[in-house]
Amino acid sequence: MLYINDLTKNYGSFTAVNHLSLHIPEGDLFGFVGPNGAGKTTTIRIVCGLLKASGGSVRIGNSSAPVGSKEMKRMIGYVPDFFGVYDNLKVKEYMDMYGSMYGMDSGDIAKLTDDLLELVNLTDKKEFYVDTLSRGMKQRLCVARALLHNPKLLILDEPSSGLDPRARVEMKELLKNLHSMGKTIIISSHILSELSEMCNSIGIMNRGQLITAGKIEDVMQHFGGGQKLHIRVISEMEPAVRLLQEQAGVTVQSVRENEILVGYQGTEEQIGRLLQYMVQNQVTMTDFYREAGTLESLFMQLTGGGAQ
Amino acid sequence: MKIKLNPIIKKDLQVSARSMRISWGLFGYEMLLAVAFLIALSIIQAESRSYYSNNIYSYLVYLFPVVAIAQIGIVMLIVPILTAGSISGEKERQTFDIMLTTCMSPFSIVLGKVTSAVIRILFFVVASTPIMALAFVVGGLSWFDLFTFILTIIMLAFFTGSIGIFCSSVCRKAIAAVILSFVFYAVIFGGTFIPSLIHALFAYSSYGNDYMGESMVFWLFNPIIFYEEYFTQIMTGESLLNGANFDLDEVGPLTYLLSQGKVWMFVSAICIILLSLVFMAAAAWKVNPLHSSGGRKPGKKKAGQE
Repeated sequence: MLYINDLTKNYGSFTAVNHLSLHIPEGDLFGFVGPNGAGKTTTIRIVCGLLKASGGSVRIGNSSAPVGSKEMKRMIGYVPDFFGVYDNLKVKEYMDMYGSMYGMDSGDIAKLTDDLLELVNLTDKKEFYVDTLSRGMKQRLCVARALLHNPKLLILDEPSSGLDPRARVEMKELLKNLHSMGKTIIISSHILSELSEMCNSIGIMNRGQLITAGKIEDVMQHFGGGQKLHIRVISEMEPAVRLLQEQAGVTVQSVRENEILVGYQGTEEQIGRLLQYMVQNQVTMTDFYREAGTLESLFMQLTGGGAQ
Repeated sequence: MKIKLNPIIKKDLQVSARSMRISWGLFGYEMLLAVAFLIALSIIQAESRSYYSNNIYSYLVYLFPVVAIAQIGIVMLIVPILTAGSISGEKERQTFDIMLTTCMSPFSIVLGKVTSAVIRILFFVVASTPIMALAFVVGGLSWFDLFTFILTIIMLAFFTGSIGIFCSSVCRKAIAAVILSFVFYAVIFGGTFIPSLIHALFAYSSYGNDYMGESMVFWLFNPIIFYEEYFTQIMTGESLLNGANFDLDEVGPLTYLLSQGKVWMFVSAICIILLSLVFMAAAAWKVNPLHSSGGRKPGKKKAGQE
């Protein structure tokens, strides 16, 4: 769906995006993660035609339309991280204005407005003035606005920024709903726990470079973010620790009373074989489990603990 | 064929029509014009009595330029305020980026902004018609004159609006854009005289006359000269340029043709409209993010942002 090839953006001697190449397949809900100043927003703004790239190319699907062209703009729905609204403009007029900006007919806009307001749960606010809506409602209205021209790709920059917990949950549900409808969505967010719940793929950026990208589980496995084993032993501890230390790829990280924490670079199958080996060697265990890896821990590992 | 209204015009008019600001603005505008009218009327009456004229009504014709100049002055003050904040206001409100991601071209956005300002000025012009009509009725001028005056006001609004929108595209803050608009006024209204003054000084020192010659072409872009010629023609039927006594052999056919009052005004109107389009095109270029090579290095964002 979205192909970014060797994208670069320089501000004088400062490189905000450094030879970034990325492919986001159709139907993905892609989480774009990175510390402040990593280049996420710059990348998004280039894709949306709001910033000129210093080098590289962006393509959507098989289209050869250049960034910023009408064809490209029709394929993208953009929800910025922070946006204002107009005073004295009703919700339906707000939708009508943006629909007209895409050259849509008033009749089509009116029909789609009803459908989209229902989707974002704002049907009862149709006659309300936009500036009277809460922040969460404005955010959902902005998503409805971005979907009005039925774009192939929806891009949201920090959609949960400044929202209260309830509005965050509503936004998350809305995005999951859109994903289940088959929309390709890119979300840049700081709330990693939310991203890990919603997204099926991620890209991690740091200092203008893409460190990794792909399906969440593949990335986790590749970088070993979750390979921590907790082993609770009720037999003698010393032989158990010695047995573990003899195994390749195993690092005993801590030994506390009857629990051993182990770092292990191995596949699921290898973990199974390790358990079998321990049992065969008369180590009696009550627990043997892998600590669930989190996006936070992976992020911290890959970005060197960049502030989030 | 269905003609689509520029969505920016529609939105701006919807928003401004619901605001009390425009109502108060209209009220203030009417009051100012009425005051200008009454002052002019009392001065003209006093003047006409002092000359023991039998035909005091002939002096009332001067009501027209007084009220018209007041209107021109107010339009020149209001339009930059309406347009200077239009782009910078959208940027301050953080709605401009969304606008740029739609299928509207930067020029359509700029044109929509200027046109909505011109339409809002038309509210003022229409609202002032009764006062202007009174000046015409007692001033003895024709409805055609009123109509042509309204056309020139639209042209002036378009011109000042295009300056305002250009300044708005350059400045981040609306107030800075308003100030810059007035700087542009000074440059255009005063600056177009500079080549003529230099030419005249040179001619005086060399030939002993103050002939300004082709440098007067710059005056074509000056709305002040345009209105001076307009009022001279309407009030006296003469042309300001007649006093220059251009000699065809000396000045050449183009300058001679321009020296004919009606031709001058027509060409000047075209020049002013062209200059307006140049300002609008420059504004469209400036707001187009893909024409900016470097851009701004991302800095600190406002509260609530990343």
